[in-house]
Amino acid sequence: MSDFSLQKYATRGLKTLKPSGPAISVGYGTCGIGNGADELFAALQKAASGSKILVKKAGCFGFCAEEPLVMLYLPKKPILLFSKAKASMAAKFIKALEDEKALDKLAKTALGKISRWNFRTSELVFGEGWDAVREWNEIPFFKGQEKFVLRNCGLIDPESLDEYVSVGGYTGLYRALSAMKPEAVIDEVKASNLRGRGGAGFPTGIKWKLMAQNKAAEKYVICNADEGDPGAYMNRNEIESDPHMLLEGMLIGAYGMGATHAIVYVRAEYPLAIKRLQKAIDDARKAGILGKNIMGSSFNMDMQIVSGAGAFVCGEETALIASAEGKAGRPIPRPPFPAQKGYRGMPTNINNVETWCNVPVIIAKGPDSLRSIGTEKSSGTKVFSLVGKVRNTGLVEMPLGTSLSEIVYGMGEGAGAKKKIRAVQTGGPSGGCIPADSFKAKVDYESLAELGAIMGSGGMVVMDQDNCMVDVARYFVSFTAAESCGKCTPCREGLSQMLRILNNISTGKAELKDLDELERLAWTLKDAALCGLGLTASNPVLTTLQYFREEYEKHIIQKRCEAGVCEDLFEALCENSCPLHMNIPSYLALLGEGRLEDAFESTVRDNPLPGSMGRICHFHCQMRCRRETMDEPVSQGEIHRYLADTMYKMGREQAIWKTLVQEKKKATERKIAIIGAGPAGLAAAFYLVRLGHDVTIYEGHAEAGGILRYGIPAYRLPKDVLDKELQLWDTLGVKFVFNKRLGKDLQLKNLQSSFDAVLLAIGAQGDRKLGIPGEDLAGVHPGYEWLEAYALGKAGKPGKRALVIGGGNVAIDAARTLQRLDSEVTVAYRRTRSDMPANEHELQGAEEEGIRFEYMLQPEKINGKDGRVVSVEFRVMKAGGMDTSGRPRPVATERSVVIPCDEVIAAVGEVVESAQFAKSGIPIAKDGRLQPNPITGKLLDNLYAIGDAVTGPATAAEAMGLAKQCARAIDSELMNRDAFATLFREFAYDMTIPEEPKTARQCRSRQVPPGQRQANFQEIALGYSGDQARQEAARCLRCDIRNNARSPWR
Amino acid sequence: MQKSVSSGSAGPKARKTPNPKKKAGKPESANAESTSKLAAVIKALAAEQEGKPGALLSILEKLQDQDQFRHLSEEALRLVAEITGEALSRVYSVATFYSYFNLKPQGKHTITVCRGTACHTRGSLALLQEAMNQLGEPDFREDEEPSFTTSDKLFTVRTVACFGQCALAPVVAVDETIYSSISTTRLCSVINAIRKEEKV
Repeated sequence: MSDFSLQKYATRGLKTLKPSGPAISVGYGTCGIGNGADELFAALQKAASGSKILVKKAGCFGFCAEEPLVMLYLPKKPILLFSKAKASMAAKFIKALEDEKALDKLAKTALGKISRWNFRTSELVFGEGWDAVREWNEIPFFKGQEKFVLRNCGLIDPESLDEYVSVGGYTGLYRALSAMKPEAVIDEVKASNLRGRGGAGFPTGIKWKLMAQNKAAEKYVICNADEGDPGAYMNRNEIESDPHMLLEGMLIGAYGMGATHAIVYVRAEYPLAIKRLQKAIDDARKAGILGKNIMGSSFNMDMQIVSGAGAFVCGEETALIASAEGKAGRPIPRPPFPAQKGYRGMPTNINNVETWCNVPVIIAKGPDSLRSIGTEKSSGTKVFSLVGKVRNTGLVEMPLGTSLSEIVYGMGEGAGAKKKIRAVQTGGPSGGCIPADSFKAKVDYESLAELGAIMGSGGMVVMDQDNCMVDVARYFVSFTAAESCGKCTPCREGLSQMLRILNNISTGKAELKDLDELERLAWTLKDAALCGLGLTASNPVLTTLQYFREEYEKHIIQKRCEAGVCEDLFEALCENSCPLHMNIPSYLALLGEGRLEDAFESTVRDNPLPGSMGRICHFHCQMRCRRETMDEPVSQGEIHRYLADTMYKMGREQAIWKTLVQEKKKATERKIAIIGAGPAGLAAAFYLVRLGHDVTIYEGHAEAGGILRYGIPAYRLPKDVLDKELQLWDTLGVKFVFNKRLGKDLQLKNLQSSFDAVLLAIGAQGDRKLGIPGEDLAGVHPGYEWLEAYALGKAGKPGKRALVIGGGNVAIDAARTLQRLDSEVTVAYRRTRSDMPANEHELQGAEEEGIRFEYMLQPEKINGKDGRVVSVEFRVMKAGGMDTSGRPRPVATERSVVIPCDEVIAAVGEVVESAQFAKSGIPIAKDGRLQPNPITGKLLDNLYAIGDAVTGPATAAEAMGLAKQCARAIDSELMNRDAFATLFREFAYDMTIPEEPKTARQCRSRQVPPGQRQANFQEIALGYSGDQARQEAARCLRCDIRNNARSPWR
Repeated sequence: MQKSVSSGSAGPKARKTPNPKKKAGKPESANAESTSKLAAVIKALAAEQEGKPGALLSILEKLQDQDQFRHLSEEALRLVAEITGEALSRVYSVATFYSYFNLKPQGKHTITVCRGTACHTRGSLALLQEAMNQLGEPDFREDEEPSFTTSDKLFTVRTVACFGQCALAPVVAVDETIYSSISTTRLCSVINAIRKEEKV
């Protein structure tokens, strides 16, 4: 080891790593450049010319979606981090580095700061200051991360050997060469418990030992950087941001195993990684760290790069070797293992990039440096690329054993309140889909395997409600089928047959028995394929079948893709999102042609309450409207309200109702009882009576309508509109029996024996309790109960100061009703406004009317005097980390407040009142919801259930959607036929695509101004005029015009 | 933008014209001069790569990169076999195995749609369909053909398994420029800008 010294490189490196003057660095990885880092860098250089400011490049700090990341350096101060920096901000950054005041001001907008950094092979203190700026690891995305492999990434210049050495780089190699025998190197790696990071998790030390035992004149170490796994890119970043760590790891490994040659196999899609790695190799060679007599020792080694030409199977080691030999990359059976006979027939050891990158620290700082992180069986960290439907995307490195929910909801911060996360896909085409209810699982080799997935190389793709699990399986199988090398039959034939079945499922051509065939093929592949590609290719299928079988069945039986991905299974996205599957493009087009009757008929066949629902719906249709990508979604619901209002006003609905009566099917002599005359019960009755059945609805109240009558206030839905629409049921011959309650006036057993089918549509009307002291005081009312009492005229005059607790629609309905009754109303909610579940429109209305809102307040105690409420005590909350609903979890603070009041409405959700069914054998969930078959609605025998009683509090449209589905199933069971489609009518209308549409925002209907809403229950929204309705209908982009569109009920 | 909805209104279908029939066994050389030029290039590459790992792969990659239409012609493959001494069958096997190699001439501009998992979950299929609609091949199916080139050789649309830019999904590369979090509207304007520049 003669006179070799790293010192001069380290000294030089430190000058730029921790500069003595002001400096600025730009995240200059592929992600950064894709977001404009190159322009930013040039602008900074220009702005800094003539000054003493050092402008430098760094690798990627991992927060890829926030790139380009900029770091500002000032001596004795922490590094300041700025995200999404633009070239236009260059002058500002440079100015701030020259002017302390400007910098203090700029610091307020910083993403975070770095006061000190643990490079693992050394530690560095940058400075103190800017107390108001959070430390980098307090940023949610970085909280809980442990940067062991990414120790230098984003901080050092990847093209500078000096900077790498200045943070302790190559000290591991120096120690190995100067003070360790090769066996000792392997022993330390073994003791560290390092396992292969390519996916399979084989202990690295053991693998190295096997290789070391094979003596030969030529021995090879290879780095697998053919990251072919779609959705994973950490290896790219590791090489781009810190190529020397890979070099050092491979050199140490080669020394330990006695290898003479090294090859890095990088995919050609990573040009920047190849360029930087080549530079690192050249620089190391010049410095005597590579080549002959490395660091003055007797160890010789050279390294070459092979750029792979794009074949996923080359991730398999024997295939990679074939490819490196210049052949097509087809795997061969093992044994012989590469350690015995590998590249050019010589002993060869292959490890993944990340495995190699762990090695320098293990040797420099000892095995405990790794073993002290992670779990006993899986030590150290793993880098994941967290991508897909999640707020924060990028590279996360966390200790093995971290739970999936910490990653998805903690670092990723969920998907926002509007979308629900369904699953995470780990391990790419070889991995599996893990459902959201298993997110407690720890991420380590064994736990993921138990769930049917694998860790893989580290892809982690988050999927939400708009992702179809059948499509995910189909996507991966089409990938592996295309990438199969074709050498072994199970893989070549099995995958193409699996793909055929999956294609059939996603186009509605499959049968249920195909699922068994799919599963059988998947297991065959798992048993009989030649290499890792085939052995794991069925994981995406098997896991989706295991966790999302219901979704497969819905594709096959109902021919529906709820996520709206499988295009052959729906007419248009609005239709698919509508729980009633209204053929929306149809009535929009008909209205556009001036065919009002036809438009109304199309509407009413799909939804018998078009006027009422057009007023109060959540408008699921708008949530997926493609027009939104242009300006705003089409207001489909407002249009069917217009159709209904106009027809009723002219009395022209009668003719269409008459048509429906005339086409009623021949009497079937089957008697059906429906319990509950809310939206669900009414919808079921509408379809069942038209199918020829004898339908009786039993209702506890004196009139029909359920929540439409007794929950929703008249200023949203005038009762005469509802009364008008309900005449249709009488016209069709549905029988109503009022004032009869199940369990009191009616016995389920008796109904079941005297009717052919009994349908429970009892809703979810039990108010959830607050669970705090004082709830029994006079003046404290559960929300839904109070609304109902008011509707029945039994509520009594409320006190002067009313306090509503809750943030849903019931809370807002109660608040606005109280306001109209002359109370001063305050709404208290435990989260923020944007986290409120109430309709935005209702919320705005309430604010306009002068209702006071207090956020971040959690009730703790209701105070009373003489048995009556006088005030409520609240704990002040603050926003914590994301919870599974995608909203920040409210966390208690020290502070509390008291709000005086005379009346309290507790509207914190509703539950299904199902205690009376406890001993009936009906499947019931813990929270009281009835649990029928999700497709037919069948509970047991001739008993069915629909609506909120099944889903818990949901929307009226969802309740009616389930009713429709169930009516079809009941008819099919009672009559052994499928006559449902005959209840609908196909209209012919214009099928040309609209000309280039001009930007036009949604038409707004006229509203009664807030000043005129006081003390009355007059309807606020006055609906569209004819011109507005036609104009709005013309905004539709007509997604239904395509060859594979499927009408909803055929 | 609106034409995107349509399946068929985006102009006449532009099918690929099949390559003119070649004489069996003989390179498709237009003249001896270009053949000798090509041979010289291959000889230089072969000398540069001799003995290196993955030599054949590197020769083919570099040869394709230098080609005007970024492809490996039959003549080129035959010459590689001749000059390197590898069996033609092996050269052909390598050229057809890896997705990087094109056996058909590529357009002047390449639109590469990433079909990685992150991009797929964020709607890259719609982007691919949009690009194909715009360029007159609405019936393109990615599982049947790896790429599509317009008859005027201005555009080639292809897919890639993953760019490794997953955090910015969906991603489309147009020539060397990478567009992250791209929408169909943006993709259309990029295509139109190129058309304008090329005066089509």
